[in-house]
Order: sequence, then C-alpha cells, then structure tokens
Amino acid sequence: MTGFKRVSFGACVTAAVTMAVGAAMPAAAQPGNAANRAKLSQPAPANPRQTGNNTFQFALANGMQVLVIPDHRAPVATQMLWFRVGAVDDPPGLSGMAHFFEHMMFRGTKEVPDDGFAQTIAKNGGENNAFTDHDYTAFYEQIAKDRLPLAMKLEADRLVNLDLSDSHVGPERDVVLEERRMRVDNEPMSLMAEQMHAALHLSHPYGRPVIGWSEEVRRIDRVTAQDFYNHHYAPNNATLVVAGDVTPDEVRQMAQDTYGKVSARELQPRAEFTEPPRLAETRMTIVRSDARVPILSRLYRVTSYAQGRPGQAEGLETYAQLLGGDQTSILYRVLVEQKKLASDAGASYDGYARDAGEFSVYAVPRPGVSLEALEKAVDQVLGVNALALPRDNDLARAKTQLIAGVTYRRDSQFALASAYGQALTIGLTVDDVNEWPARIRAVNAEGVRKAAQSLSRRDAVTAYLVPGGGK
Amino acid sequence: MKAFLAACAIALLTSAAPVEAANIKNIDLGKDAQVWFAEDHTVPIIAFNISLPAGSAYDPSGKAGLATFAASMMDEGAGNLDSKAFHEALANRAISFSARAERDYLVISISTLKENAPEAMRLLQMALTHPHFDNEPLQRVRTQIIQSLQQEQAEPRQVAGRAFTREFFGGHAYAHPVSGEIGTISAITAQDLRNFARGHWVKYGLKVAVAGDITAPALTKLLGDAFLPVSGAKPPVLPNVGRLGAPGVHVVPLPVPQPSAVFGLPGIMRQDPDFIPGYVANYILGGGGFSSRLTEEVRVKRGLTYGISTSLTSYNKAAVLQGSVATRANAIRQTVQVVRDTMADFVAKGPTQQELDDAKTYLTGSFPLAFASNSGTASQLGTFQRQNLDIGYVARRNGLIQAVTLADVKRVSKRLFDPARLTVVIGGTPADGSRAAPTVPRPPVRPAPSPQPPESAQPANGPQPGPSVTSPSKPADKPVAGPVTTPQAQRKP
Repeated sequence: MTGFKRVSFGACVTAAVTMAVGAAMPAAAQPGNAANRAKLSQPAPANPRQTGNNTFQFALANGMQVLVIPDHRAPVATQMLWFRVGAVDDPPGLSGMAHFFEHMMFRGTKEVPDDGFAQTIAKNGGENNAFTDHDYTAFYEQIAKDRLPLAMKLEADRLVNLDLSDSHVGPERDVVLEERRMRVDNEPMSLMAEQMHAALHLSHPYGRPVIGWSEEVRRIDRVTAQDFYNHHYAPNNATLVVAGDVTPDEVRQMAQDTYGKVSARELQPRAEFTEPPRLAETRMTIVRSDARVPILSRLYRVTSYAQGRPGQAEGLETYAQLLGGDQTSILYRVLVEQKKLASDAGASYDGYARDAGEFSVYAVPRPGVSLEALEKAVDQVLGVNALALPRDNDLARAKTQLIAGVTYRRDSQFALASAYGQALTIGLTVDDVNEWPARIRAVNAEGVRKAAQSLSRRDAVTAYLVPGGGK
Repeated sequence: MKAFLAACAIALLTSAAPVEAANIKNIDLGKDAQVWFAEDHTVPIIAFNISLPAGSAYDPSGKAGLATFAASMMDEGAGNLDSKAFHEALANRAISFSARAERDYLVISISTLKENAPEAMRLLQMALTHPHFDNEPLQRVRTQIIQSLQQEQAEPRQVAGRAFTREFFGGHAYAHPVSGEIGTISAITAQDLRNFARGHWVKYGLKVAVAGDITAPALTKLLGDAFLPVSGAKPPVLPNVGRLGAPGVHVVPLPVPQPSAVFGLPGIMRQDPDFIPGYVANYILGGGGFSSRLTEEVRVKRGLTYGISTSLTSYNKAAVLQGSVATRANAIRQTVQVVRDTMADFVAKGPTQQELDDAKTYLTGSFPLAFASNSGTASQLGTFQRQNLDIGYVARRNGLIQAVTLADVKRVSKRLFDPARLTVVIGGTPADGSRAAPTVPRPPVRPAPSPQPPESAQPANGPQPGPSVTSPSKPADKPVAGPVTTPQAQRKP
C-alpha cells in the first residue's frame, strides 16, 4: 500500500502509534475465561526458565511476573511494566480514572519529585511513555542497556512512593481534559467510535471511553486517586517484560535489587462483568459540520482469544484479514474496485481482551453514493461469505500475511515486548503467543465460514457519519 | 537517589561511544547512486529505504500534488501486472511496500522476508520502469486523495500548516502542499503521471539504505539487477529559494473550539557548520518535549496548551525552524505572544550549562535507539542520505554534538530565533472571551505529547506487519497514549 491512501481516515486513531502492533498481535484461544484467569495464580519459577524459542520467565518473591526476550543487535533494552488495571477498573462515576492515574505516575515521588522521572530518563539518553486500555495500563522505557538498572530503580520507586498532592491532581486533570478535546471532541470519527462502543456493550465497562467522560473526569480528586493507587499498583499486580541486549540472569539480578525490595500488597479483586444479551441491532446517524466525508461503520461484539473456544478467535482473525485487511481483500475488491461504490473499505478484529472481542467493518462512499446503498452492498458481501467457502488462494494469502507478521514483529523490541506483555496481562500464556502461527495455519475454509456466520447484526452497532448541519 | 541519578548522567557524558551496532558498508552501484548497507542476521527480514529525486518540489506549475499522486500509483499496476495482480503479488509474499513524496524526494520503504527479497526487487523494478497509470486505479486513487484533502479542510492543524508553507516559501517550489490541492489533483492526467515518472523515477541521485539478513555480495547482485534498466536521466535542478518568511500573524478563519498556530523562521542548512549547534539550541528551546523552554513557559507555567514543539528541518534548497501549538480560541493570541517572549529571552540570556549538558546526554545517549531494528536502521540511514551526509557521519555524529559549547549555542540562537521575523499562521478563529489566558504562571503541569508536523510524521516502529488498515471505526481511545512526548517518531539528525 502506498503512503497516501487511507492516511487521512486513520488520522483519528491517534493512540494507534504506541500500540500499532496490536493489529497483528498474536496470542491464542483458550477454553474459557475461568481457565485463563486461573493460570495467573500459577506460580512461576524463581529462576529464569526458558518458555519458548527465545523467552525466559520467572517470578519475584513479591509476586511480580518477569519475562525476558534477549536481542543483542544493539546495546539497548526495552523495559515494559504491565499492570492488570485499566478502564474497566474505573470506580463508579469516575470514568477515566485508570488513564488519569497513568498520567499521575509521572508527577513525582519524594525522592524523584515533579517530572524528575521523565527528565532523568531523557538525561540518560532514554525514551519513555505509557498507555492505558480497558484491561491494562503499561509503562515503558527504551534506553542503553547499562542504564536499565536506573530505569528499574525509577519504576520501582514510583510503584509505591508516588506523592499525590492537590497541587498535582488539579492541573493534571485539566491536562487530561485538554487531551480529550484534542483526541476525541475535535475528531468526528473518534466521537462516532465512542458513541458506538457505548451502545455496543450495554452495561459492560468496555462501553465507556478509556479517556473518560468529561463530566466524570472533572470529579476525580486526590482522595479517589490515592485510593485507586493503593488498590491496584503493586508488584503482585504487574508483569515486567524486558527485551533487548540482556541475559535472563542479569535481568533477574537487577529486578531483585529494585522491584524485589517492594512488598506485595493486598489487591482489590477485579470485578467480573458480564455481557448482557443484545436483543436488537443498534443504529445511529451522527451529523457533524466538522465531518467532510461520510463514513459507514459497523462494530460487532464477538468472542475474544480469552473467551473463545479453540480456533474461534483465529477464525475471526483470518476472516478479518480476508474480508478487509488490505487492498487484496474481498471488501476492497468488490466495493471499491468492482462496484465502484466505495473509495475505501476494510475490516479488522480485536480479540485481545479479557472479555468480549470486537469485529469492525467500514466503508467510505464515493461521491454520489448513499450510505444506505453502500450498507446494502456491504451486507451482500457479508451474506455471501456466510454461505460460500472462501477461495483457496484468498485464504492462503490471508494466512501468509498474518503469519509473516510474527516474523516482522521480531524486528522491534517494542512490538515483541508488547505482544507478550499484552497476552500475559489479559490472561493468555507465552505458549499462546508462541503457538499462534501454528493455530492460524490450522484455520481452514470452514473455520472462516463459521466466523462469517457468527457475525450477527443483533450483536452490532451500525453508524452513519454524515457531513453537514450544526454540531 | 538524587546523587545516584547525577552520577549516571555524568558517566554517560564521558562514555557516549559511537553506535557500535551500525557497522555500515558502501555497496557499489555506479557513480550516480549511493548504497549503504548494515548487515544483521538476527531476524530473517530485510528493510530497504530508497530515495529518488521525485519529491513535490518537482511538481510542474498548476500540478501541485503530482509527485504524491504518482507515489500513490506505484503499486497500482506495472509490467504484466494490473493493479489487482500487483497488490496480490505483494500480499502473497507479505511484502510491505510503501511510497510517499516528501519535498525533495520520493521515499520508498520495503520490508520483506529474506526469501522474498528477489521478488520484492523484481516488483520494484517493474514499478519504476513500467508503471501503468491505468484508468480504474487512477480514478480510484484520485477520489481517495481528494476525500482526504476535503477532510483536512476541517482540521485546524492542517489548515494552518498549508497556509504557513505558502506564506513562508513564497513563490518557490516548496510553497505548495506536498499532497496538492483539490483543484490540481482533479486536473492531473495519466500523461502527467507518465511524464513525471519518466523524468524523476531515475537512478541519477538514487540513494538506497538497506539493513538486515543478506550478505554484501548478494545485495550487490540484487540491487545491480533491479536497477539495471532504470533510466539514468538527470532530473532538473531545483531553483534556489529567495527570501524566506512573511513576518506577521496570518489568520485562516475556521469555526473550531481549538485553533492551531504554526510558526517559523529561516533555519540553518544541513551543510552549514552551525547546523548541529542549531539543532542543540532547538532541542533546548522547543524540541525536547517535556523539558524544553517553550513547554515550560507555555504549558507548565501557564497551562495554555497540551503540547508545543519546534523542529529544525533542512531541505535541499532551504531550511526552516518550524513549530506548532494548539489552544482554546480565546488564548491563541496570548500564546503566540508567550512564544515570542520566550524566544527573545532565550536569545538574550542563552541556555544554562545544565540545559546544554542535559541536551547532549539525551541527544547522544538516545542515538543507538535508532539502530535497534532493521527497519529503524534503514530508515535512519535513509534520512542521513537524503541530507547528503557521508557514510562516516554515523560514527562522527555524537562527537559533533559533544563538541558544541555554550558559546556556540548562544551565537547560533541569535542567528536562529528572531521573534520579530516570525511568520505565524493561525488556523481557526481567535476569540476574546471571559476566560482569558492567565498572565501569571500557574502551578506546574505535566507536559503531554505534542502533535507532530503532519508531513514529517513517521511510524514509531517502522513498517508494521503487512499493509495496515486504519479503519475509522477502530476505537480511538484503545489504548490512550501516555502523557510524555516520545521523540522516537522522529528520525535523528
């Protein structure tokens, strides 16, 4: 795909940069949620144990899980600290708390006050950031390997010693509100996505925005923030992933000298939410003067790698690639090239969640084509795929691309560390990540057709974004 | 802890060695081409970063966006493959192929599994030598470009950026937007595209950076074969730029709650010995994300914005120091004034020794991060090639930054940061409201990601597995990125 195409319509996906690997991030299905969550409590060995071609795992006495991925190409390392806390854990009426708290982690401790954390990392030639999703919050540093102990020391410090004061909480809350205005309120496609998620998940917290509703973000204060910190930030709620120019034994020593000195804390158990049954399709038309191009978007609630039966999520992953993964996909071929109804069309599957996954389809009409006519054509394509088996060469191509993605991912310490960190944090295992290519290879035409059949409009929200009028 | 941190910073200053991972070789591809190669067999992939003299500055008069349009057509049919067959040839082997026009260059990025490298180079050769520009893909791509230009008309940052470029570069070939205008894109014909490809997709001035799992002899053969039939025609020389800038504040009205301002000054050319001191000075004033003077004054002290940054960019014929900031409508004028005042103060007093030392440890210490992957290495080397640097620069670069003195930065700052000469464009409608900007500093506020200039934004981690779809229905807030700027999205100078 050349550079220009599709660029502008993706521009609203502002946060995708830090997690761009997500689209092809492998992990794999397990029999069910309960089984997965049980695995988290299985003790990992104290000494590094090889658990894949190039992954080593151990645990600290305080419960912190550690994964090491050696890569000796350059004298640098990537450290990621993944916490099993995210927007689903926002207290009632305080949506955005987990994301807000991610910001607060950069506001200083007694020993490293104010923005000393980021300043120190920069002074030492490192880069750092963090991101928050519904199921997790992750912090990372990329730095010269001999600075890794320093990065660990800093992370261990803010894991327990954060200095929350009203003078920090108030201004940071304003910053988050500014951030929300930039990322969401000024972006018609982000607003549409937010409305669609809220409608899709009924009462499950996947339906509320990670960044929070403005009115609720305004209610966050020092006391509620401190409470959140006490209940969720602890070594026994974190997975450390280190990729780079390191050995497992080096990492174990460094981790013991830093994180090892932090005591385990009693955690607030995560609430278990259910997905209430949906009895009808939801439809919405959003009219915005800042939207200049109409868009059709549909979001299905589907199974995830954590929820699905073996092969189910892989089937959806393969179907999304085949249906709308690129310019060779069925939607692009039929709607854009053959029928000339759309200028762009695609599909994707996000199955890396503790609870439900999401399958999305979109299309941009060519000038003069109505969204209704476009939707009809999209549904025709989806209907055909639910009946007929995919063509062998289309299926083979989709699988080749998914599997090659795993090799490409090995080129980036960040992408690799993210894949394992995300999988472990949502309840999958290193084996799930390592066996994913084989599981994709095993997807057959019938598996793809089953995935296509599993998409029901009753479990979907369909939205039209329409230019015009007032806001 | 504080003593420990200080000791580390000092140790880094003295130990900042050249990048050991970057063992870079020249590959001979004739006198008019330059090939740099970083061999690494850790991961079985190869990354190519290829630059041709086919950027938007070569767009003929009235055909703004031709270079971009042509780049977008590169994988839409060539040789014996039509558009569909070409896409499938790439996808069948999971070859990632992308082409984008910058001002001076067309930049082609290719990532391939090692075993598919010959097929990737065969397809590249076809695209360069026998492009189709068939009617179906041409009309389709035209619609895609026009629709994205339409959406940009509602985005204050884009509106301000385009107007800034027009004002700043005046009558020069750099003045029109790289992606063109709706009117000019509408008028471009297949013949225009064909002529452009014939004249500019050539190996005269070709620059290739390669990193990954191949040997030098194999790469020499592969590239020699691929580029053998590519025309050696010499593209026209770009005219020199006259006076840069249109000092003053220009407003492009747009009914948005949060206007954007884009501002700039004449920069320093890459070959000028003052470029490196200028780069360091810019880092301290506005390039360092959370630690810059502008972030401190505009955001931390006054809470006027979510992010502000500046960058020093040298094109082949002109250099620009450019920055941007977004804030609410009733604070945009005050914000521009704070930018001016901060610049004036910086010129008058210069940075502190501590600021300079911190800038050096970051700029030198983070350099190896650019070489931690094949795609990152190829991309970084390609950037150096487009700046007309020699292959030894990679080893010299950190030494040049270490050598910058406080006196250098003060001298160069006087040359660079003249607030009276600032060209400012506001996209949006400034308003006077009840909630005016605070005139006195507020308590400290943590900085946040500053928006990247749209035309220089690059993926943070190189090519993603296969072609990536950016679907508008994808959740915009999954996950939400953190509060700190990550300069990794930018290639290092």
